[in-house]
Amino acid sequence: MGAHLIRYLATAVLSGTVALFCVAGLASASEPVRQISPDDFEAILSEQQGNIVILNLWATWCAPCLVEIPDLLKVEADLKDHDVTLIGVSVDEPVFSTDHITRMRDKRFPDFLTYARDNRDTDYLVTVVDPAWNEVVPTTYIIDRAGAVHTRIQGKKSLEEFKAAVLAAIE
Amino acid sequence: MTHFKSVATTVALVLYATLGQTEPLSPIDHIAVAPDIAINDNGDIAVMWVDRSPELSGDHSGHDRHLSYTDLYVAISKDGGNTFETPAKVNHDDGVVWGQSVSRPRIVGATDGTWHISYAANEIHPDMDKPALTSHYTRSKDGGITFDAPRRVSTLTNSDLSDMIHGGFTSAAAFQTITSANDGSLHLFWVDTRHMSPEESTGALYSAVSRDGGATFDADREIFAANVCPCCQLMATTSAGADVLVSMRDVSDDGYRQATVTRIGPDGKITHDRVDVGTAPWQIEGCPLKPTAVAVKDDAVFTAVYSGGEEEPGVFFSSSTDGGKSFARAVPTHAHALVSDAPTVAVNDSHALVAWHGKTEGPRRVFYRMYDLAGAPVGDVQSVDSGPGHASSPVAVTLPNGQFRIAWEQDDRIHTSALPSSPIEIEVGLR
Repeated sequence: MGAHLIRYLATAVLSGTVALFCVAGLASASEPVRQISPDDFEAILSEQQGNIVILNLWATWCAPCLVEIPDLLKVEADLKDHDVTLIGVSVDEPVFSTDHITRMRDKRFPDFLTYARDNRDTDYLVTVVDPAWNEVVPTTYIIDRAGAVHTRIQGKKSLEEFKAAVLAAIE
Repeated sequence: MTHFKSVATTVALVLYATLGQTEPLSPIDHIAVAPDIAINDNGDIAVMWVDRSPELSGDHSGHDRHLSYTDLYVAISKDGGNTFETPAKVNHDDGVVWGQSVSRPRIVGATDGTWHISYAANEIHPDMDKPALTSHYTRSKDGGITFDAPRRVSTLTNSDLSDMIHGGFTSAAAFQTITSANDGSLHLFWVDTRHMSPEESTGALYSAVSRDGGATFDADREIFAANVCPCCQLMATTSAGADVLVSMRDVSDDGYRQATVTRIGPDGKITHDRVDVGTAPWQIEGCPLKPTAVAVKDDAVFTAVYSGGEEEPGVFFSSSTDGGKSFARAVPTHAHALVSDAPTVAVNDSHALVAWHGKTEGPRRVFYRMYDLAGAPVGDVQSVDSGPGHASSPVAVTLPNGQFRIAWEQDDRIHTSALPSSPIEIEVGLR
């Protein structure tokens, strides 16, 4: 009985935390990049159910990643009427603060809404979306309105290729 | 009765076992990653790792140094891996090591017992006051107790690519490796950015050679001017005849990144130039961060590498019977695994061992499999029994008795364990 109560309370507290998070909504692209846990990540994605999500795994040291992010932003803007949201997750080492990620984001693409991982093991976070991720960046997932991965794209692609992949998920 | 006699006939079972499980080598209050393992001619075993000490956290430099600010530690065993001595710090200046699982410092043992180490180091370019990455070397001649003052073996160039090399480095000589040959020569290799430009985003392969046990090195030498994957660590080994085999990913003009092995003779001449190890073409404009493990036994050369070009991506094993002139079609080591990655390979007189981290269900585990010297699998995939936690990034070495020993990282600590020299056949009598 006691254990059930504790579990209930723990669930309630967790739900409350998630609810607070959801009320707060997505982080703003103008705010410092925030480190997130798998639970945070799940909450962020579940809040997006009903939308098409372009989830981009990138890193500050990954040159092809930095080249394609402006194209992804353009896809998001072009398809805004279809409820398309671009969310980034930086897989940079979470050793220090996220200042360097924020600096890079602000310098190159200030409108890019991105998070960072809070655990040394990259796989720990990405497993939420793809347990079979092979730790290659850039990796982009097109997630459908039901929250399922529609397409996994690896390596830098063109704006046209990204747009076609998102349109396929919209249809 | 005949039936029972038949049933009682012994049945040969092929079993593998993990032998001599040890406690983690690295301290409990530190984060330890990116292990390497080596053996010298005394039979001593060295396990080395990158330490992210709590006191090193924080950006000490004022520069973005690619977020790697680490130390290097080595623990030595003089009794075949039963016990390890207190770990010794390798680098003299705190935090100068640029080390991580995908660009790990390397250690090799020499015929005279010396331990030779290479790592990429953070420096500040004296003329530009910006960070630069350079390849460093040090050695221990007293059994891993003390280490010479590390020294740079790559040329610190005056090019400023800090706007191009993300992380703000003016130049980089990283993703290095080292190997020691029977003739006493030492060979360091690294991926060099000195020819990079906005139009040329691939790396160059450079080498530095010592022929006096690491006392001095020749000036660094260009092996390949371009087309080297700039973010895939190099691996190298040496044959009995002091040939060097170095592996790299060769980037084609249309964006394929093929795992290759190059064989270089003792005179420095290339005998086999970037030979494809037999994986399917993998076209990706990204950062694979995938090295190619290589081991050699006489004319047999073995590789293990992650391939993303296959229908089922994962670790693929390939072998050559002509010294690396050609390779058989690579085969998967762990079919149907959710993930298999980060392989290592070692060879003894009868078998090649491939170990990797993979996922079948739950967190990453370390797996291994053996092959005969013709490259045929012997037995099935085995999991290293390492207890709960995320186990990853294994490295393997062959001991004088033919046993294999591996080291890996698990939940921020470094573990090591012996593996058998071959599949163990146990005769089981049914009663």
